[in-house]
Amino acid sequence: MTALEAKSIHKSYADHIALNDVSLTVEQGTIFGLLGPNGAGKTSLIRIINQITGPDAGEVLLFGERLSPSHIAQIGYLPEERGLYKKMKVGEQALYLAQLKGLSKQEAKHRLDKWFKRLEIDGWWNKKVEELSKGMAQKIQFVTTVLHEPKLLILDEPFSGFDPINANLIKSEIMRLKEEGTTIILSTHNMGSVEEICDNIALINKSRVILDGSVKEVREKFHKNEYKVRFDGNMIAFATALWSGFELLSKNDDGEAIVKLGEGKSVNDLLNTITPSVEVKEVIAHIPTMQEVFIQAVQHENQPS
Amino acid sequence: MNKIFLIIKREYSSRVKKKSFIIMTLVGPLLFAGLMAGAIFITQADTQENKILIVDEPGLITRYSAEHQQFVPNCLDCYTEDKNYVYRFTNERLADTTFINGDYTLMVVVDEAIYEHHHPTLFYKKVPSMNVTQQLERDLEKAAERAKIQSEGLLDYETYKRMKVDLSLNKLNIVDGENKFEQERAGVGMVFAVIIFFFIFVFGAYVMRGVIEEKTNRIIEVIVSSVRPFELMMGKIIGIALVAITQFLIWVVFSMIIFFIAGSLFESGAFEQAASMQQQLPQNADFASYLAQQEGFQLLVAINWPLMLSMFLLYFVGGYLLYASLFAAIGAAVDSETDTQQFMMPIMMPLFFSYFLAILSVNNPEGTAAYIASFVPFTSPTVMMVRVAVGNVPVWELIVSLALLAGTVVALTWLAGKVYRVGILMYGKRPSYKEIWKWIFYKA
Repeated sequence: MTALEAKSIHKSYADHIALNDVSLTVEQGTIFGLLGPNGAGKTSLIRIINQITGPDAGEVLLFGERLSPSHIAQIGYLPEERGLYKKMKVGEQALYLAQLKGLSKQEAKHRLDKWFKRLEIDGWWNKKVEELSKGMAQKIQFVTTVLHEPKLLILDEPFSGFDPINANLIKSEIMRLKEEGTTIILSTHNMGSVEEICDNIALINKSRVILDGSVKEVREKFHKNEYKVRFDGNMIAFATALWSGFELLSKNDDGEAIVKLGEGKSVNDLLNTITPSVEVKEVIAHIPTMQEVFIQAVQHENQPS
Repeated sequence: MNKIFLIIKREYSSRVKKKSFIIMTLVGPLLFAGLMAGAIFITQADTQENKILIVDEPGLITRYSAEHQQFVPNCLDCYTEDKNYVYRFTNERLADTTFINGDYTLMVVVDEAIYEHHHPTLFYKKVPSMNVTQQLERDLEKAAERAKIQSEGLLDYETYKRMKVDLSLNKLNIVDGENKFEQERAGVGMVFAVIIFFFIFVFGAYVMRGVIEEKTNRIIEVIVSSVRPFELMMGKIIGIALVAITQFLIWVVFSMIIFFIAGSLFESGAFEQAASMQQQLPQNADFASYLAQQEGFQLLVAINWPLMLSMFLLYFVGGYLLYASLFAAIGAAVDSETDTQQFMMPIMMPLFFSYFLAILSVNNPEGTAAYIASFVPFTSPTVMMVRVAVGNVPVWELIVSLALLAGTVVALTWLAGKVYRVGILMYGKRPSYKEIWKWIFYKA
């Protein structure tokens, strides 16, 4: 089932266009990576989904219904720039934010007790936010985002500010929520975590979607006949053997190299060419990382043509 | 609706629980009373000792007494002497250095031509208080008057005193013959006007700071993903209004308690003193009937209190809402309090203008300026209080003034909401007026 569908969204401000004909579909129970360089329009899109602002044209459907104020309780949003009231106590603040999302006080208290125990922060209830470290405050923010059990969770850079241990803790909570059926939109610049947890992605650049699909598809799409070869033997001999029909993209002293196959060449051709010179230990397809995909896609797009 | 209530509750409870609020609420009336008492003490009780030398060069009001071996005044009872006023007389002015180094604090020189120019010269080392100079003037006036009467020899001083007539106007309004104390009542109205000004000034700034706090805390984006920005703004404005009303009511109750404690301390003493001195009260008169004769009490009775208090409430709320929405818009437009200066001016000017107009209109509460200002929404909350206290404001004028205020409040709140909605999510460069104007027309 489709959780969220954006249909040709346009949004412009006085002096620039933030979103230009942006369409995307997020399936229920998946983690969707919303990627793009700074200022590409991600935050504008997120704000439209959250009904903080409205689109100039186009529409957003949440579980098949046009967005309306009644959907606010079904969405959880962790903005990139996030904060809490410094002078308020942790417990009071969490209750307040939960009540704004429509939870009753009793229900919110009950759920908070559970979450605080699970994240091992149950001693913090009466602390003031200004007494907390940044990481501690981030944990509270995460809890207040998910407390009302939203069907759609929008997380903007959820791991920033966390140490690796807490980042993993949050990651496993995100995966748990996904298993429980929550649809998650993850906006991040951390491509490692995109590969790790996202099912599908959309890449927005200069207010347009320039790339979308499953993480696997997208990476394969950027696979350009490049192979990683590990071997024992002389690098010079290896390089010489690849004289024609192949291109040596990179090499290192540990006997590893990335080779691009020339027109009409296959992996078998590559093996036939190099086996006389070196002892081949491994040849694997070099699928570009999301990091590389991101850079290539954006740079390609930005090239004047 | 439920959400706006939650916001009001948070704004209210987070503020009234603050230590600074509790301290200010408890200490405020004491501080007020202390300041008032201090001001009265300074102006009234001038404890400084004044040793005054009267230099009568032509010998008009003094003579040399061989018996006392010094100059003495011709008219002894013209000079009010007590421990703070000591008069000495001579016929030669002291050399400057002698005066500066001597223990006379003041020296008055009466010269030959005093009856022509009427200006004896007062030499001082430290500026004397108003009370001292007024007393001095009165005393010298009496002495000079007497000397002139004697010198011209037309009549004796006792006859002159009998013939002299002093007048002071007894004012009566022809529209309703009851009216008295117009000026004093305008003064009472001014007190209410100043209270309104004070609360708008202080609590309007709270609204602005609250908005800036949410923006710099970056909690704003989380909140507006749950509630509409307009709800958040109104919740904040209303919550802080309730804080203001709470503080005001506690101050009223506290002031009344202080008033009654202080009153009961003075009551017996003042009553007995009045009874014995003036002897205008029958033996069995009680304090209430004594009070009823006092001017202050008559003044209080002369004011239409139900109208006064209900208008106070309406103008208080109206004025606050008017300015608070503007303060909220400023808070949303900037990133930090230091950036507010530029935008504060256009708000502070009408606010201070309304304050000064209220004070000025005490002198002329039925003048054209006060009349016009009591309709202009930016000034009516303070100026109309003065007019209502004086009385004679037709009902239709109150209705028109309040309707204009209400209309402006609605319009400004709507505009402020537009600026607020855009501003709270804008960071970075401080916007110009032109940009803020554009925000008003942004689509939601």
